[in-house]
Amino acid sequence: MVSTTPATHAPAAADPGPLRPPWSARALIAAGLLVAAVAVTWLTFWWIGLSPASLAAGLDDTARLLRRMWPPDLPGAGDVAWMIAETLLIAVAGTGLAALVSVPLAFTAARDHRGPRWLRPAARVVVVLTRAVPTLAFAILFVRIFGLGPLAGALAVAVHSVGMIAKLLTDAVEEADPVPAEAARACGAGEVQVAVSTVLPRVFPALTGIVLYRLDINIRASAVLGVVGAGGIGVALQTALGSLNYHRAAGIICVIVVLVLLLELLSVAVRHRTVRHRRVRHSRAGRSAGDTTGTPALPAGRAPHDVGWDRGRVLRVAGAVATGVVFLVSLWSLNPDPGRLSGAWPNLRAVLTGMWPPAFSGDLLMAVLESLLMALGAAAAGAACGLVLALLTAVNTTPWRPLSAVVRVLLVVVRGIPDLVYALLFVAALGLGPFAGFLALWISSTALAAKFFADSLEQLDPLPHEALTSVGARRWQAFAAGIWPQFVPSFTGNGLFVADLALRESVVLGIAGAGGVGYLMQESIATLRYDTTAAIVIAIAVVVYAIETLARVARRHLL
Amino acid sequence: MIGDPVLRLSEVGKGFHGTTVLDGVSLDVPQGQFVALVGPSGAGKSTLLRLVNGMHLPDSGTVRTLGENPASCSRSRLRALRARVGFVFQQFGLVGRLSALENVLMGSLATLRLPRYGVMSYPRALRIRAVEHLDRVGLADRRFQRCDTLSGGQQQRVAVARTLLQSPELILADEPVASLDPAASVLVLETLKRISAEDGISVVCSLHQIELALATADRVVALRGGRLVLDEPAAGLTAERLREIYDTAGARDG
Repeated sequence: MVSTTPATHAPAAADPGPLRPPWSARALIAAGLLVAAVAVTWLTFWWIGLSPASLAAGLDDTARLLRRMWPPDLPGAGDVAWMIAETLLIAVAGTGLAALVSVPLAFTAARDHRGPRWLRPAARVVVVLTRAVPTLAFAILFVRIFGLGPLAGALAVAVHSVGMIAKLLTDAVEEADPVPAEAARACGAGEVQVAVSTVLPRVFPALTGIVLYRLDINIRASAVLGVVGAGGIGVALQTALGSLNYHRAAGIICVIVVLVLLLELLSVAVRHRTVRHRRVRHSRAGRSAGDTTGTPALPAGRAPHDVGWDRGRVLRVAGAVATGVVFLVSLWSLNPDPGRLSGAWPNLRAVLTGMWPPAFSGDLLMAVLESLLMALGAAAAGAACGLVLALLTAVNTTPWRPLSAVVRVLLVVVRGIPDLVYALLFVAALGLGPFAGFLALWISSTALAAKFFADSLEQLDPLPHEALTSVGARRWQAFAAGIWPQFVPSFTGNGLFVADLALRESVVLGIAGAGGVGYLMQESIATLRYDTTAAIVIAIAVVVYAIETLARVARRHLL
Repeated sequence: MIGDPVLRLSEVGKGFHGTTVLDGVSLDVPQGQFVALVGPSGAGKSTLLRLVNGMHLPDSGTVRTLGENPASCSRSRLRALRARVGFVFQQFGLVGRLSALENVLMGSLATLRLPRYGVMSYPRALRIRAVEHLDRVGLADRRFQRCDTLSGGQQQRVAVARTLLQSPELILADEPVASLDPAASVLVLETLKRISAEDGISVVCSLHQIELALATADRVVALRGGRLVLDEPAAGLTAERLREIYDTAGARDG
């Protein structure tokens, strides 16, 4: 027996030292988040009166509604084309306006801004406020000021986009190397010249990427702006639902879903191409950097001072001109004639003067709390369901490949339908109230969480799982030890992100009558109580900003 | 004005966050002279150069650059002064995504009113001059190449051409060859020296390498711990004497 004992075997008598690891702050935070998520979910269920019986009844009502919607009735091809065109033009005009405003705003908000000192905090406040208030909230306000139609929609899209574009661009400006700017300053250039000549060219690729990404988001947003009368295909949906023409409503929802799915395919293709393009260019740049004595880079037959029209320059100029033309057409399509704009002035004045002082009330705070509960409960429930779906779809965890493909397609379709459309449907099926809003958010949170989780599951290092399988671990053991520990940080981070998005959505779902503060907001504007509107906008901005900050802090300490 | 120094520092002192960086430095630079500024890291070479074009302002003493006092200039006068003083950076300060020609053209921004973007936004006459200056540094054929695809030595010569477009009366160079290989270093310094001799421009150039300083400069000025410890014509100096200064500095500071 003695000879089989391994040489490293420790003597049994010695004190092994502590065998339980000490508590870490990370573990405590993680445990706290888990407890909070469970508690909030229970509170939400109690608040909206969710029980197995009510859920079953709700699903029954929804199924009856869906049967009444079948078969979908598509509007004529010309109508569909016009509605889609208007939706796209709203998004393009809004995104373009936002980009134009964001560039100076981002330069002002950046850390190395050299202008008057009070400008920088002012710019940051604008960025935070416009980002925190959702597009639809702005849309309700602007419809009141500018009247029904795409002008209000495009402005709403623009104002909300300014916050995101300017914030991301500020980060890019702050990351840029400061030496070229210092060099231009040493040449005697003014601050605007320094920014345009040395910083703008370096952040230009980042700016293009951000604006395209935002355009993608804005097309989705424009599809539902019509629900509050701000133009686009949503107007037709609202009309159909309002006149109880459910067949037509189903047809329009189908058009929206196809539009969003096509957009999804397009953006995947574009992203794929730019990534490949960048790789090719990098390898080329690497070669020519090493080649310093090779052939001169100047094409023959060019005058010394002439830039020449080579292929790259022609493409760049053509692209810039085409972008400008599309943007101008989109602006023109909003029909911003001077008479209409000047007619908006009295409305604007009335709204702005009526907003002061903001009128906070108990009802308002309860409505904000309801929005918050709906969002957090739906996000927690959605994260749990999303995790299950993600484990079914991710290639490294799925039990059966064909199932993975089916779930994947299903998730893309579910994500293609805007939250507000779910909310409209559930309100039509179940009546007004937070129950409809919760169900809408739950579905969208589940689909979103499933996509995020599946993506990050597939990016995990496969080696630990293989190693465990090779030493004989069972399927569940290999998952628990080889995959789950790696996955916890991205699970938490993505879960918090889903909660953040759900909150932004929940404050506007009330516009469809699905509970929360959005309903009060629309009502306050309809009854000209702008002081209440101001209080609601402030409350929304504070809550959204607070949740976003909390999520950021939690992510930083956990990841 | 003839015979007046282009640069005069009188008893200049400067500190950052309580640490003294320069302490009572006086220095006159006449027109057309190539001055090498040597000394160990942290001796105050960069700070001295930045005091000259008003990127830093002195705590005590006075700086007179081309007859102006940067400390008492208004914003616009300071910009006008900077336009007359070229500055070459160790890290080149080029915008990598733009062509060599556009980077050179940036040297003319002080003479233009509006911001500029793209080579074609600059006047034709400036473009012709910019190409001439690129030719002087031997890079006219690279004018449309992106700067981030040029070698380090080529990038620094583009930066020198950008400085030349300012038609400077004084060029300040802050460790212009510290990130270059020996052959490129010699080429960049020879370019600077040739321009200084041909156009009669004064150059104040901080350097690490003693041999390069002795081979290029008319005059060597050494700083140590913020004080001026040597100021002699390069002709009478030997590498051994200069190295002694570095060594005793190391011994005393250590």
